Order: sequence, then C-alpha cells, then structure tokens
Amino acid sequence: MYRLLQHKKARSWALQSLVLLVSLGLTVSFVVIARENLLSQGIATGFGFLERSTGWPINFALIEVTDRSPYWRMLLAGLLNTLLVGLLGLTFATLFGVFVGLLRISSNLILNIIGTTYVEIFRNVPLILQAFFWYAVLTHLPSPRSAISIGEVIFVSNRGLILPALNFPLLDVLLLGLGAVAIVFGALQIKKHSSRAAPYVWPASAALLVLLFLLLLLTGRSPDSPLVTFPELRGLRFRDGFDIKPEFSALLIAITVFGAAYIGEIVRGGLLSVDRGRIEAGRALGLRNFRINQLIRIPLAVRAMLPALANQYVWLMKATTIGIAIGFPDYFMVVSTSINQSGQTIELLALLMLGFLLINYSIGFFMNRVNSRLEIKGKGPLVDG
Amino acid sequence: MPDAAIQLIGVSKFFGKYRALNKVNLEVAQGERVVVCGPSGSGKSTLIRCINRLEEHSAGRIFVEGTELTDDLKALDEVRREVGMVFQDFNLFPHMSILNNCALPLMRVRKSSRQEAETVALSQLERMKIAAQAGKYPDQLSGGQQQRVAIARALCMQPRIMLFDEPTSALDPEMVGEVLESMVDLANEGMTMICVTHEMGFARRAADRVVFMAEGEIVEEADSDTFFDHPKHAKTRAFLAQILYRRPAEA
Amino acid sequence: MAESALTAPAPDNSLAQWLKRRLFANWWDGLITVFFGAFVLWVLFKVVGWGFVDAVWSLENKDQCREAAGACWSVIEARGRLILFGLYPYEQHWRSTLACGAIVATMILSCLPWFWSLRRLPLLWVSGFGVFVILMYGGVFGLPLVTTEQWGGLALTVFIFAAVVVIGMPLSVALALARRSPLPVISKLAGGIIDIVRSLPLLTILFAAAVVVPFVVPDWAQGDKLGRVVLAFAVFFACYQAEIIRAGMQSIPPGQEEAAAALGMKYFYRVFDVLLPQAFRNTLPSTINQFVITFKETSIVTIIGFFEVMASGNAAVGTGNWTAQYVEVYVFVGAIYFLFVFGLSRYGDYLEKKVRLGVA
Repeated sequence: MYRLLQHKKARSWALQSLVLLVSLGLTVSFVVIARENLLSQGIATGFGFLERSTGWPINFALIEVTDRSPYWRMLLAGLLNTLLVGLLGLTFATLFGVFVGLLRISSNLILNIIGTTYVEIFRNVPLILQAFFWYAVLTHLPSPRSAISIGEVIFVSNRGLILPALNFPLLDVLLLGLGAVAIVFGALQIKKHSSRAAPYVWPASAALLVLLFLLLLLTGRSPDSPLVTFPELRGLRFRDGFDIKPEFSALLIAITVFGAAYIGEIVRGGLLSVDRGRIEAGRALGLRNFRINQLIRIPLAVRAMLPALANQYVWLMKATTIGIAIGFPDYFMVVSTSINQSGQTIELLALLMLGFLLINYSIGFFMNRVNSRLEIKGKGPLVDG
Repeated sequence: MPDAAIQLIGVSKFFGKYRALNKVNLEVAQGERVVVCGPSGSGKSTLIRCINRLEEHSAGRIFVEGTELTDDLKALDEVRREVGMVFQDFNLFPHMSILNNCALPLMRVRKSSRQEAETVALSQLERMKIAAQAGKYPDQLSGGQQQRVAIARALCMQPRIMLFDEPTSALDPEMVGEVLESMVDLANEGMTMICVTHEMGFARRAADRVVFMAEGEIVEEADSDTFFDHPKHAKTRAFLAQILYRRPAEA
Repeated sequence: MAESALTAPAPDNSLAQWLKRRLFANWWDGLITVFFGAFVLWVLFKVVGWGFVDAVWSLENKDQCREAAGACWSVIEARGRLILFGLYPYEQHWRSTLACGAIVATMILSCLPWFWSLRRLPLLWVSGFGVFVILMYGGVFGLPLVTTEQWGGLALTVFIFAAVVVIGMPLSVALALARRSPLPVISKLAGGIIDIVRSLPLLTILFAAAVVVPFVVPDWAQGDKLGRVVLAFAVFFACYQAEIIRAGMQSIPPGQEEAAAALGMKYFYRVFDVLLPQAFRNTLPSTINQFVITFKETSIVTIIGFFEVMASGNAAVGTGNWTAQYVEVYVFVGAIYFLFVFGLSRYGDYLEKKVRLGVA
C-alpha cells in the first residue's frame, strides 16, 4: 500500500477520489437532513410559495406593492430597491470620490488636510455605524407639524424629504431614463459609423427623447388627474407629495460618504501612478497643463484605476445589505423577512444568492467591457512602465 | 556502460505539440565532464532538466546512478539527493541569509541538526571562497557572488552529479570569470558534471566531452579537442563559426 | 580664467519657504488657502466648542444637558460600561478588560520581526486567544463561569475578530494551496468555493450560518449560534485571504520552487520554508488591509443579533433618557473603532515601507 502511494499517479487518483467522496457525502447528508426537517415542519419544497401573498408590507418600493402582493412581486421590489440605492450610491460616491481624490493630491496644503481628514475619518469607521448615525440624524429632524420648508413646496421632516410629485409612475421615470441612455448610445454609434448622418444625430435624438417623454406622459394615466401634486400637511403626515424616506436617504448618504473615501484613495492612486516620463514628454512637446491633463494624465490614470474601481463597486453593491439594520427594504431584508414568515429557507436562500451572483456578474461584465475598450493594446494587464 | 552516472535512452519530450527532444541517447560516465551547447531552442536546457525530473520526459528511459526516473516518488527523492543543480537565475532564497540558504536544505532533506548543517554549509562556502558573506542576504551580494553561493548550496548536499544550466549567462562580464574558476576547480576535483553553456573557453579547458544539439537532437559529440579543431557536421561548423566569431579572445 | 564670483544659492529648505510653496504658490492658490483655511478654522471652532468647551462631562450634571449647547458626555459615564462590556457581570469587568488587553498585546507583539516565522506567529496568536477565552469564560483557576451569551460590547467585538483571524488564517493557506494544486478535482473545488463565497455579501453568509445551517446539519453537530457565525465569518475571511496569498505566490519566480525541488526538498518544506514566507512578505499590505476590514466588519453581526460594541452602542442610545445623545454615543463607539483601525492601518503603512527597502 505504501509502495503504491509513492507512485505519483496512484497518489493523485487516491487523493482526488477521497475529496470527491467526502464532498458528495456531505452534500447528500445535507439534502437528506434538510428533507427530514422540512417534512417534520410540514413545509412544502419548491417555488410554489412565490404565488402566495405575503401578508406584510414594505415601506419603500419602485413598483406597486401592498401587503397582499405575492412573494415574487415583493422579492422583485426588494431587488429593485437594492439596485436603486446601489447604483445611485455608486454614482454619487464616484463623483464625490473624484473630488476627494483631487483634494488629496492637491499641492495646496489646506486642501490636502481637508481631504486627508475626510478619508481617515470615514474610512476607519464601519459602514453600519455611519448608516445608524445618518439615520439617527434624519429621524431627529423636526416632526411634520414643524417641518423645515423650502418655498412651501419642499419639506424636510423626520418622516423624510418631501418634494412635489410629478404624476408620473416611478417605473415610467425609469423607462424614460433608460430610454435616454439608449438614445444617447445609439446616437454615438450612428455618429461613429456614418459621417453623412452625423450633423443630424443630436437634434434627432433630442426630438426622440421629447417624443418618448410625451408618450409616457399621455399613456398610463387618467386624462384629468393633475400633472404635479404638491405635498399637503394633513393630520400628522404629508400626503400627495413625492416622499423620500429617511431609511433610503440614510443608506444612500452612508454609502456615498463611505464609498467616496475609498474611491478617493483609488483616484489618488491612479493619478499618482502615471509615469512622470509621460508627463515630461508632454511638456517637451509644448503641451500646456490643461492639455497634459486631458490627453495624458487622465486617460492613463483612468486605465490604472479600473481594476480597483471594479472591486470597489462590487463591494459597495454588497454593502447595501446593511440597509436592513436601519429598516430599508433591500433584497436581503425582503428575503430574510420572507424566510421568517414562510419558512421556505432553502429556496429563498438560493434566490438570495442567485440575486447577488447576478448583480456581481453584471458589474464585473460591464467593467470588463469598459476595460477592454480602454485597454492599452499589446501590454496585457494594466501595468505602467 | 555498466556503471554510468547518467543514461538517457531514446528520450523524447513534448510540450503539447511541440517536440523539444527527439529520441536522444546519451551516456555520461562517473567523473566525466560534459558540456552541452547549441543554438537556443535546441533542447539543451530541457535535456538536463529531465535528468532531475524538473521536466517529465514523454518517452524513453532515464537512469541516474542506476535508478530509473519514473512516477515512483521515493526513487525521485533519492535521485534529487544525488544530483545538484545550478540555475541561470541563481534562485537563492531571498528571505534567508546565505548561511541559512545552504544549511536549511540539509536540515530538511538529510535531517541534520542545525549545528552539523551550519558546519557543512560553512565549509562549502569556504570551498567557493565566499564564506565571508555567510551572514548577508542574497540581495546584498553581486551576481557572481550569488552564483557561487548557489553552487555551494548545491554542494552542501554532497551530490555525485552536478548539473549547470547556463550558469554564467545572467552575469555581468566581469563576474563570469570568478564563477568559471570555481567550476574548473570543481571539475579538477573529479565531480561528474553536465554543463549547458556558451562559454567555449571553459569547454575547451575543463570538458572531457562536448555535445552539440540542434532542434532536439544530438548532432555531434566528441572529446573537446576534436570538437573544436575538427568539427564534422555542417551545423556544428556553422555554430562554432558564429560563437567563436563573437568571442575572438576565446579561440 | 578668472575665479567665478558666483556662489551656489542658499538652499531654500526653511519652513517658511515650504509653507509658501504649499499655501501661496500663486494668487489663486493663496485665495484658496485663505478661504478654505477660514472654513477649516470655523469647523474646528464649532467642533471644539461643542465637544469640549460647552460640554457637560459628569453624570451629576446631566440635567444641564438639555440646556447645554455642547455635547453631553455624561451619557458615556452612564452607559460607558454597557458599551464596553455589554451584559458581562459588573464585578467581573476586570476580566473582560484584561482579556481585551491580551489580544491587543498579541497584536503589538505580532509587529516584532522576531515573531515572523511560520511557527512562532501562529503560536503567539493561539496562546493570546487562549488567554482571552480562559479569562472571559472562567470556570478554572477560581474564576466564576460566564457563558458566551453574556459576553458583549468591545470584548465580543475583539473576540470575534481574534477568532476569525485564528481560524481563518490556516484555512486561507489551505484554500490557497488547494487552488494551485495540479490535481483538477481539488483545485476546481477550492476555486468554486472561493469564487462563490467572495461574490456574496458577508451578511448573507453569516445569515445562512445562523439560520440555514441548523436546517441541514444533525442536532449534535450544530454548536451554538456564536460558534456557527464565527466559523462562517472565518470562512469568508479565508476566501479573501486565500486570493491574497495566491497573488503573492504567483509573484514568486518559478525558479524558487524548482531550486527547492532540485535540492530534494519535499512539497511540505518547499511550501512552508520557501514559498509561503515569500508570499506573505510580498502581500503584507493587502493582508493588513484584510485585517482592518475584518475588524470593521465585526459590526455587521449586530444584525444577526449579537451584542457586540455596535449593538451595545445602539442599546445605550435606544431607550430611556439618552435618546437625544445619539451623536455622543456614536462618536464614542466610532472612536473605539477608529483607534483599532487607524492603528492597524498605520502599522500596515510602516511595514510596507520597511519591506520595500528590502530589510529582513
């Protein structure tokens, strides 16, 4: 036996078979025990429960959900919530983060100090603590009766930020947004490929966008409901406005502020990694500072930042799960409440994991596309110098 | 040859579809010094890396000190203890001192105590005339010094055969001499050596036999005088012309 | 040729010159300095005013808090113990303090290069962790028993962090080695586990450990909730750290392993004497960063229902008299985190500089 184990191929076969056996054994035992438990608790397996109504509401959703909505609709609302707060958070964090990064590498000492203080404070405190903090701040605002008002149409209270509402379903707003993005992309493509159509592209896109807006405006609404509704204080609460709940705002602010601290460092790293020789070449060619930034420093810095940025985006999306701590109904919270209420643990957990795997792969895929389009040809991974 | 140090019989090596070695036959006697040369891509590095199974040969048989190289891991351990290797890139362990570089393998492979291992290490470092650097770290030494340490490290295991894979190719010209000197001393002490190198002066001086390879095959082999003075094959002559033209001082 | 009358200009290294360059390089730079400088001073003035000058410090004066313009730090005196120790018995708080001190000492000792061998470092952490558990749990040496349900506050945070590190590091080495194995079954299995775990949020994994594991595992293997969650957290940590180690190993020239093999060193010695020490040195900054992130992420277990320092902070604010003092409490908890995390990051920077210079 010992002699046999000294044989390289025999050893590798034995080891691999052992590992396979143990893994299969564990999996099988998990399944068997799970089935026993499910049977003893009288819970049916399978995804049939998705058609059942939940019996509980959530306090924020992009699509129409009530406490009578079926599970699948509730889960979809949760997923959309995660995407909303995640994508908005990523965008704001990036914009803000660029600003912070520039502060950090500024030659001005005061700006430097501001940037460094910001980064050190908000990077070294856990995200969940920051979320709790902002939530506490927002819920300690005055009650609706004594709300802070801006021009009598916008109100800030501990129930949230209330704006005049466009009588435009939120889903339609999203469609409009997506439509606009699609039109812009289409316009850019047409501009690239056809020089004859080029001068007409932007006016045509603008016209198309207006058309889309009017279309959405006219359909899906009863003709005599008003276009804009203003918030009105009735009793203890505001009605009829577009209200942004503090749960959502607190999470968004926390993700933006925390994310900006990290993205600021990534931006700083990217800008610092641009080889001095390239900048000097630009100077030698007689380019002025603005041009050097535009043509050399920024493009190279962006390419250097992409891998770290992609990682950060994935991390920030996953971080939205802490919304449950402050009551924001993101995908995780909807799933965990569903598990509590329906007992369909395994199926729901699988859906949870699937949802996040999907989100991650989408971000990864998108960033990879951006990366390959921007990639410096012939050099493989983005290593400068 | 009954008690040859190394025997390669019909050895071929494929990397995917690419054939690096084509049915090579070679025998090296005890105490013999062989230099292997040839253009790049000729398979000379692959050849000696098969001898201590850093590459696994695809076909044929290899015997080292009578032990055949197969999938038998125990046999492989024995072979590697008897065969020492020196690399083009030195490959000293950067996180250990020079002394530890030499002593640690002894402690792990021959299970010596730290005392014994360090004694042997120091004596080998002496032999390579580099004992003064024993406390330093590899990054603090020059290339030539590092390579001499690498030789000493291989010698600590008291191998019966030494393999050299282009030991001076990565060195600055000023340092090539000191390493070659050490190798000549080793040769004169009767070590069985196979050396892949471009240093023809060394070959002329220290080698018993010179083997010329091209495209995975042995084209010509002869004792060193015959090889340099009366090369038979056209390819050999072409190669020598190139090499010797580039280094007129060596001719 | 006449002797040159020119002498080298005096170097302008003085503080005044440096300040001029950094603050008043040109006219709009000067403008920015003045404007933002004023802003920074105003913020400082407000913060110091709120936090120190106008603040109420002691518990007796807490009635003044309502009228005071500044911070009400009395809440710390009232609730500080709750935040630091959770529900740990009052008389035994000294044990909790000592236990945290043991872990802090372990972390400080880890900084000394003398401990940087693959034998001494694990030994140090295991003994530090062991001292922690003995002090906290008791039941021996005449120390009264305090079960894990009563562990809370900072001590629980530190416990989770140390446990995750002690379990997670060896696990990460195992996973990294498995991933680079030439045996396809093992490498694909390890790769699959690492990729899936890394793409999920930590909360999902901890939640699964707390809720799902009891479902699929027989009763005798379940352990207590804290143990399950710590184990899951350790697996999460291990998957991230395994990738860091893998990157470190990939940056080692292949000749290193070949040289070790040629010398006759077996797999175990090749990996532990030659490859791993280099991999860790190469990836020290990423590893320290991973530790820092882990310490911060211990706050997430508050969602699962554990009473670590974040939860105890919330409890201190939540009910009763102190709801208005949420800022003070959150600043206090934030400061605790900041202390640990900032210290660790600074040490990481220091190590990175030291390793880059090629010393040890």
